Amino acid sequence: MLKVDINSVSVLGNDRKKTILKNLNFKVEKGKVYSILGKNGSGKSTLIKSLAALLPINEYEVIGEIFYGETDLLNTSEENLREIRKNKIRYVFQDAANSFDPLKKLKYFFDLSEVDPIIIEQSLLFFLLPTYKELSNLHSYELSGGMAQRLLIVLALFTNPDLLILDEPTSGVDYAATNLILLKLKEFVKENDKSVLIVTQDLNFAKNSSDCIAYLSNGMLSSFLKPDDFMKSTSDDEMKRFIQSFKEIENATA
Amino acid sequence: MPLLKVENIFYSVEVKEAKKKQFNILMNVSFDVEQGEILGICGESGGGKSTLAKVIAGIISPNSGNILFDLEKQNIKRKSRPIQILFQNHGEILNPFRKVQSIIDEALKINGVSEENIETEKSKILNSVGFPKELYKRRGYQLSGGEQQRAALGRLLAVKPALLILDEPFSAQDIESQLNLVKLFKGLNKDFNLTMICVSHDLRILRNLADRIIILKKGEIVEHGETMEVFNNPKEDYTKFLLSAEALNLTYDELQTSSKY
Repeated sequence: MLKVDINSVSVLGNDRKKTILKNLNFKVEKGKVYSILGKNGSGKSTLIKSLAALLPINEYEVIGEIFYGETDLLNTSEENLREIRKNKIRYVFQDAANSFDPLKKLKYFFDLSEVDPIIIEQSLLFFLLPTYKELSNLHSYELSGGMAQRLLIVLALFTNPDLLILDEPTSGVDYAATNLILLKLKEFVKENDKSVLIVTQDLNFAKNSSDCIAYLSNGMLSSFLKPDDFMKSTSDDEMKRFIQSFKEIENATA
Repeated sequence: MPLLKVENIFYSVEVKEAKKKQFNILMNVSFDVEQGEILGICGESGGGKSTLAKVIAGIISPNSGNILFDLEKQNIKRKSRPIQILFQNHGEILNPFRKVQSIIDEALKINGVSEENIETEKSKILNSVGFPKELYKRRGYQLSGGEQQRAALGRLLAVKPALLILDEPFSAQDIESQLNLVKLFKGLNKDFNLTMICVSHDLRILRNLADRIIILKKGEIVEHGETMEVFNNPKEDYTKFLLSAEALNLTYDELQTSSKY
């Protein structure tokens, strides 16, 4: 589906550059959910933005190849990229409420999707969101963070993308909604033979939602492991501490 | 008498546009806090947790009810409030333009620490919250969220509170820092016999920290007990729902039923 061979991602300064990610090599296969874990500032968001060439070229330098089918995303026309980002590789960014144009009513975003009203209603119901009638007249800033997050996922899924990329989908979302997102993502990849890539700090979510997990630290990505193997992995010190802290909290006896 | 007695607190706000004008945020909330314990208050977003914290700290007044604080246990004459609260908004809890050391010095002075003891007291306090010496001269805006939180905590401890309220101290922290904070709070509780109330939506973390737990649902206490008892034998459906939601193993049907809670 997606084959990533990035040698380096660097931030360009005035007359120097700083490399923040190096040697990222992985494949995203159909029918699977992938998670990349890492702490704040580890470069998770930069990593996913580099995939569909979203990093501004006057600020970042990405060296390598990213193949989506036959197309090298780092070496294709802006027109092609736009088409791919619209229907094939969809992003749901962190800070969901700000992903909407605040001046437009939500009706506008539903209309853009050109989806059958019955399907819209079903999807909203699944995510325990208000009905289309209630939502369509609201503005994005009238939604809570958790609602905005769920709605963005609903809208992204309407385009039926090959790959859905989510940045911290569970931050600021309560556990019940997290649970819903998890169920939907699993259903999406299994029933439609699609792929999902998540970057998150939430090991509990990654463990329960993903087929493979990798850890990003110091600009390097570990290999993708099955959740059970990931929990046992000791290859990287920071990753080991991360997993250890999680286990310690999980197994507390107060 | 317990250190703090919360009796029949009601708090509501008026909603202009809604048909139902009164919106109840806290309904008949009563509980005790004993000297030296850590009490956890848990519930979903919008359940009234932060409002309750503010009512206890005296920042907002309830519509009715009593907050009784045992001043007899306080033998020192104090110039600062005995109840201090660590707010949840990171980045807004510390004056961005002042140096950490001057903020702490001021608090110590207010609390009557003599000039010659200020340096030692300051190091002792900032040490206990794990705030490194090389950052004393930094200003609020030059610190990360976690560092600001520690400095703010130092500021609260400097006035020797009898009760410390923590409002969602773990959100926006990575898992390693969360664990370190739990250890820090437990240490403060033990070393200074400091009574604490911790408000959080995160049951897993509260299980690590709290001696007793209160489950708040839409402004009402639905369950109340020893932490391990509540975790191992939850009695209310709502508590059971919160526990399974946190483990992320609810089915779609269960989620749909629970949305009616």
